[in-house]
Amino acid sequence: MKNRLKVLRAERDWTQAQLADALDVSRQTVNAIETGKFDPSLPLAFRAARLFALPIEEIFQDPALDKNGSNLATEIKTEIKKDTYV
Amino acid sequence: MNQRNQPNKGYQSRVRANVMRLFYWNGAWGAATALMTFGPKFLWNKAASFTLLAVGLDVAVGIGMMLANKNYLAELDELQRRIQLNSMGVTLGVGLIVGAPFAVMDSYHVIPFHANIAYLLILMSLTFAISNLYGTRRYR
Repeated sequence: MKNRLKVLRAERDWTQAQLADALDVSRQTVNAIETGKFDPSLPLAFRAARLFALPIEEIFQDPALDKNGSNLATEIKTEIKKDTYV
Repeated sequence: MNQRNQPNKGYQSRVRANVMRLFYWNGAWGAATALMTFGPKFLWNKAASFTLLAVGLDVAVGIGMMLANKNYLAELDELQRRIQLNSMGVTLGVGLIVGAPFAVMDSYHVIPFHANIAYLLILMSLTFAISNLYGTRRYR
């Protein structure tokens, strides 16, 4: 799952340790989330959203959504339907 | 953010305190196990009442160690807990996979020595340490 944690942290000039402290997790966990090695639980994602005062979807992005916001999963389903009925 | 000058103190200090508590309970359990194992022969000349007391002490301290471990796991964050869970899963699997054939080989005298439980404990400890190290490095 993609996320903007690193960007948001950099904008506030926080270190990983400071963000970890604010989220009550280890620095290793913050690093693993930032690098995409670990997806946070919903409660942790909400804590991050509260901390940055942003909606959760502005921090964590659905991997099925591309940059333009179109839903790839929906597009794939549509294509499959087309193939089925052609 | 008012904690900015105190990097990660809350979580880290809690975990450190729990690690130290777990360390002391482990030490106490090791001492109680040594007393139970060597006491009958070297300290009280195999007197049954003292041996039973030593066994009771070992079990009581063992329960304390288990609770300390439970508290330690409960205080970990979700990534650390996942690493511990993976390590425990691997350790349990290795213990079962190796333990059962080891006992069978001893029963049918395939191995030239007695299948002592200590060998299995050493193997499980090593497995846990290695898989924990692997998990920690994986998410670094």
